[in-house]
Amino acid sequence: MTEIIVVTSGKGGVGKTTTSASVACGLARRGKRVAVIDFDIGLRNLDLIMGCERRVVYDFVNVIQGDCTLKQALIKDKRIETLFVLAASQTRDKDALSMEGVRKVFDELIADGFEYIICDSPAGIEKGAHLAMYYADRAIVVVNPEVSSVRDSDRILGLLSSKTQRAEKGEEKVKEHLLLTRYSPRRVATGEMMSVGDVKEILGLDVIGVIPESPDVLSASNAGTPVILNDQSDVSRAYEDAVGRLLGDTLPLRFLEEPKKGFLARMFGG
Amino acid sequence: MNKPLEAVKEPAVEIRFGQVGLAQVRIRTTDAGVILDELTGRVASAPQFFERTAVCLDLSALEKEPTMSEMRGVFDAVRRAGMLAVGLAHGTQAVDTLARSLDVPVLTQFRVQGKATPVQPPVKEVPKAPPPPVEAPVLHPPSLMQHQPVRSGQRVYARNSDLVVTATVGAGAEVIADGCVHIYGTLRGRAVAGARGEVTARVFCQEFHAELISIAGVFRVFETLPPELAGKPVQAWLDGDDLRFARIGG
Repeated sequence: MTEIIVVTSGKGGVGKTTTSASVACGLARRGKRVAVIDFDIGLRNLDLIMGCERRVVYDFVNVIQGDCTLKQALIKDKRIETLFVLAASQTRDKDALSMEGVRKVFDELIADGFEYIICDSPAGIEKGAHLAMYYADRAIVVVNPEVSSVRDSDRILGLLSSKTQRAEKGEEKVKEHLLLTRYSPRRVATGEMMSVGDVKEILGLDVIGVIPESPDVLSASNAGTPVILNDQSDVSRAYEDAVGRLLGDTLPLRFLEEPKKGFLARMFGG
Repeated sequence: MNKPLEAVKEPAVEIRFGQVGLAQVRIRTTDAGVILDELTGRVASAPQFFERTAVCLDLSALEKEPTMSEMRGVFDAVRRAGMLAVGLAHGTQAVDTLARSLDVPVLTQFRVQGKATPVQPPVKEVPKAPPPPVEAPVLHPPSLMQHQPVRSGQRVYARNSDLVVTATVGAGAEVIADGCVHIYGTLRGRAVAGARGEVTARVFCQEFHAELISIAGVFRVFETLPPELAGKPVQAWLDGDDLRFARIGG
């Protein structure tokens, strides 16, 4: 049984690729066979976040156009045995993707025994985003706690319920999960940022994870190590929880409160 | 679980329905010169509003049925004045015939004031009078039900009926009905009742945060919500030309 999970948001820069990389790593670390695919043709990023940019020979478009086999294009992660990356093409544009081509790649991955296919969607609601979500069984909608991101997520949720294969064939609907990123309890407390409760209420969905705002995300991206692998970071723990919930665990949400400063930190303003 | 999919072709044509506001021009003469003079004046008074605007001609105020050539003159005059006549208002059989020969649609949304000629059913000899049929109860079309949230960018339209939404209507979403709109959730988007001119239609919602409410074409946008109504159960109705709002249930 293979599950296809799309990571999407509508708005750009909210953390889709970071989330795709961390969720894929989290699943693979639990022994699942995972392929993570970059659908952002022309603006590829996933390979950078995964730290395999120098090992990209063939990409997603090459496979679709029959220039190479899927096996040749799948990049095996150096850290986790069961994790594979399919990079986007940097030189083509999104028209190089086709519905049949994507289907063919998925069918091959399914036949190969992959348990999870994570689709890292491009921003926007155009063809790339549509193809990334079309065959999905589940969707992780990444949202920042601010109005424009929430509005765009609402739009994406509308598309998930109407423009996917499951919707068109009248099958059971795509399972939707909300993942809040860049959450800053301090700014929620001062009223600058929407709270988990506000976002949940507007979008009417359950929250699968709340990822705190942290400089660890940027340093992980720069290092090419998915942030979930930085075990010292709250971000890693929050993503681990989200992966657990994705697999059906019931865990309380963490990192919703501002961490208490220690005595010395308060004295020296640290 | 996933089967290969047949090549999905994009269709060459996409058909969409939407509501447009259309001005109605009732003519009292077929004298092209008089029409041209008057209309030119009107257009000049508000060029942004009238310039190249689509209008529907209502012939009900004419003394007698106009001829084809008179109608061509009228269409020409309207066009020269700067407007574009796109159809005739629904009316008599003669209007239907005229519209057909002019190759323009009859717009049923505009009911003319004049009386319509009923179509006479062909009289047939009935050998034996059948027993009078039992009057069947008139079944109104049931309301359109929407149980999923209406998301930003989505539009739900209940043609010829009420619309019942049991979930949230998101900001940037539109719910439209020819009858009433009932929302048993939060309304953050737009609600349009009486989309085809039914002035007794109303909008009801459980939690009022609407962007826009419209009833039979009379609308109001909410840049700032009246504080006494925000978040409350609210109904909206039309009182003459005014939209009224009130809290439901005290």
